[in-house]
Amino acid sequence: MEIGDYQREIKELKKAKRIIQKQLERSESDRIKLEDINKKKESLLRTVIEELKEYQNSLEERSQELEMMLLNLQIMQNKMSSLGNLVADVAHEINNPVSFIAGNLTPAQEYIENLLHLINLYQQTYPKASQQIQKTIEVIELEYIREDLPKLISSMKEGTDRICSISDSLRIFSRADTEQKLLFNIHEGIDSTLMILKHRLKANKIRPDIQVVKDYGEFPLIKCFPGQLNQVFMNLLANAIDAVEESNSGLSFDKIKANPNQITIHTALIEDINHVLIRIQDNGVGISADVQQKMFEHLFTTKPVGKGTGLGLSIAYQIIIQKHRGTFKVNSVLGEGSEFIITIPIY
Amino acid sequence: MFKAVVGHSNDPDSLSAVEEVIQQCVSFLAGDIPKAGILFAAIDFEHSLILQQIHQAFSGIELIGGTTDGEISSVLEFQQDSITLMLFCSDEVEIYAGVGRKVSDDPITATKQAVEEAKAKSTADPKLCLTHPESLTTSGVSILNGLKLALGQDMPIFGGLAGDQSRYQNTYQFFQTEVLSDSVPILIFSGTILFSHAVASGWHPIGQTSKVTKVDKNILYEIDGKPALDFYHHYLGLLPPSMEYPLAVFDQNGENFYIRAPISYNQESGSITFFGDIPDQAVIQISEAAYEDILAASKASFMNALDNYPGTEPSAVLFFSCVARRQILGTRAQEEYQNTKLCLTGYLPACGFYSYGEIAPIARTNQTQFHNETFVTLILGNR
Repeated sequence: MEIGDYQREIKELKKAKRIIQKQLERSESDRIKLEDINKKKESLLRTVIEELKEYQNSLEERSQELEMMLLNLQIMQNKMSSLGNLVADVAHEINNPVSFIAGNLTPAQEYIENLLHLINLYQQTYPKASQQIQKTIEVIELEYIREDLPKLISSMKEGTDRICSISDSLRIFSRADTEQKLLFNIHEGIDSTLMILKHRLKANKIRPDIQVVKDYGEFPLIKCFPGQLNQVFMNLLANAIDAVEESNSGLSFDKIKANPNQITIHTALIEDINHVLIRIQDNGVGISADVQQKMFEHLFTTKPVGKGTGLGLSIAYQIIIQKHRGTFKVNSVLGEGSEFIITIPIY
Repeated sequence: MFKAVVGHSNDPDSLSAVEEVIQQCVSFLAGDIPKAGILFAAIDFEHSLILQQIHQAFSGIELIGGTTDGEISSVLEFQQDSITLMLFCSDEVEIYAGVGRKVSDDPITATKQAVEEAKAKSTADPKLCLTHPESLTTSGVSILNGLKLALGQDMPIFGGLAGDQSRYQNTYQFFQTEVLSDSVPILIFSGTILFSHAVASGWHPIGQTSKVTKVDKNILYEIDGKPALDFYHHYLGLLPPSMEYPLAVFDQNGENFYIRAPISYNQESGSITFFGDIPDQAVIQISEAAYEDILAASKASFMNALDNYPGTEPSAVLFFSCVARRQILGTRAQEEYQNTKLCLTGYLPACGFYSYGEIAPIARTNQTQFHNETFVTLILGNR
């Protein structure tokens, strides 16, 4: 080899040595860095796994809670359905004896009129009654009986009429739904619901009657699940009563009388889309925008513990939207009142 | 004509290294005269000497560059402790350099100076801007915002922030023969240049989501009402925050996220400083990446850029890859470049470096963004 070749080789070797030395230094510092990164990754992954475990645990708890709730709901549903059957049976059973009474009242009134007429005739024919008869007339207060007996009969009639309408309402309200939609008179459903809620609408010590304004439109029977729709009416009307009662808080009887609690029920036919419209409006406390966003959510409630289940509106929503392919909207102004607007197809 | 050549040496001796690089370039140039160049150098070299040698060999060249945390080229592929130089020759493309100094004092004025200096020399409208700015004295986002203001929001800007081999003490920028700190050197390309680019990261969020509750630009004080450092300690144990475990910052819809990497922290205040700004009240998650994710992303970045190249024959490719990628990849860091080479049938001069923050428009737009943990591919040519 020439000297030049040697020199070149030495130069190459020197360069290789420099590079190797530098790479050694670098690999040491890189190794330390890499170990550090891996330690961090180990810690990160361990923490994330722990977080996931915690998350899984809380999910399991939540799913157990939900299962429990579902079970309770099923129990409640069973109870409600047997209660519904019972109510329908009782209403039916009451109808029989009530119809005996109602049926006998007319002949009883006739008989009584006849008997009174007979007594009159006797008194005219024999104006001089024996002392015993005179005394008995006074004791039994015949004049009063003569006056009161027809009133008594007519109030008995009124009573039996009321029993009849209550039992009818109970029967209509608690009717069990079949798998097929049935033809149903929406107004009958609303009226029967109002009848069942009558005790809550009546005046009490705190406030006068809650006024119910009905503005029913004309439309045919609609094909629907009547029991479910009644449930929706019950929910919305009971909420409306709650809302107006809440708005009374802090007001005197007279103040409330001056601006009475009012629930307006408006129905109409929307011809172009073959839907019926049902609008239930109240002048109660209204619903905040925040609550309006969440109110159709499952288990959401603004009511105190034990009062609301948080199921009412969400179920009502499902009944209208999913079961009847209708629409369900709410307009509400806090402090002024709320309006629920439902539309359902006629068939 | 637009031609690029590249030289690369891993000789730790500055003079030997630069001589080797110049020799390689001269032989690739085959008589063509370079107009401009970009130099990526490891921190331990005598940079001033290197710059002087380059200017002696190629007088009148418009040169920028800076220090790095790993270098890439088509000559020696992936190296640490090396210098690599790419030179551009063209009679149709104008390339001029500018620099902004003391960028931490006033990023807007500094970047404006750089742009004006480069633009003053050129006769055509700028088409794209390359930069290799400071990373440690001010946030990358404020430098980028300054450049966007000076160049116009739609001007594509590419580059990487200077590095110092993960010491986080001092980085250097090169402008002609000067070795600077706290500066923004730029190269502006105008004329008939064609280019395409793509970005990809490979990092993904992991763990629970949290919310930024106190932040001042790029200094994060509180997450979920607690010191930001607590958030990191929760995940990393007692080890400090580092670039390999950045934050994924989600947009308002919570669907897309971008990455912000920590640069330093303050034990006393519990705050962490990031390379880029983080918005207040942003939803964040810690994020991590595995080897395969990182390698798949760099390959995707290159493939997409290549597919999008508007001409028929690219002349050069530049890579700006995040130092955190190199650190996680360890000995597999060389695969980032090797994978891109596998996608090519012929030879394409390549040059790039591992940076402290990447600059490139987001995919298929001209909206330039500041990135972390990202692999930027920029393909250049004029045919």
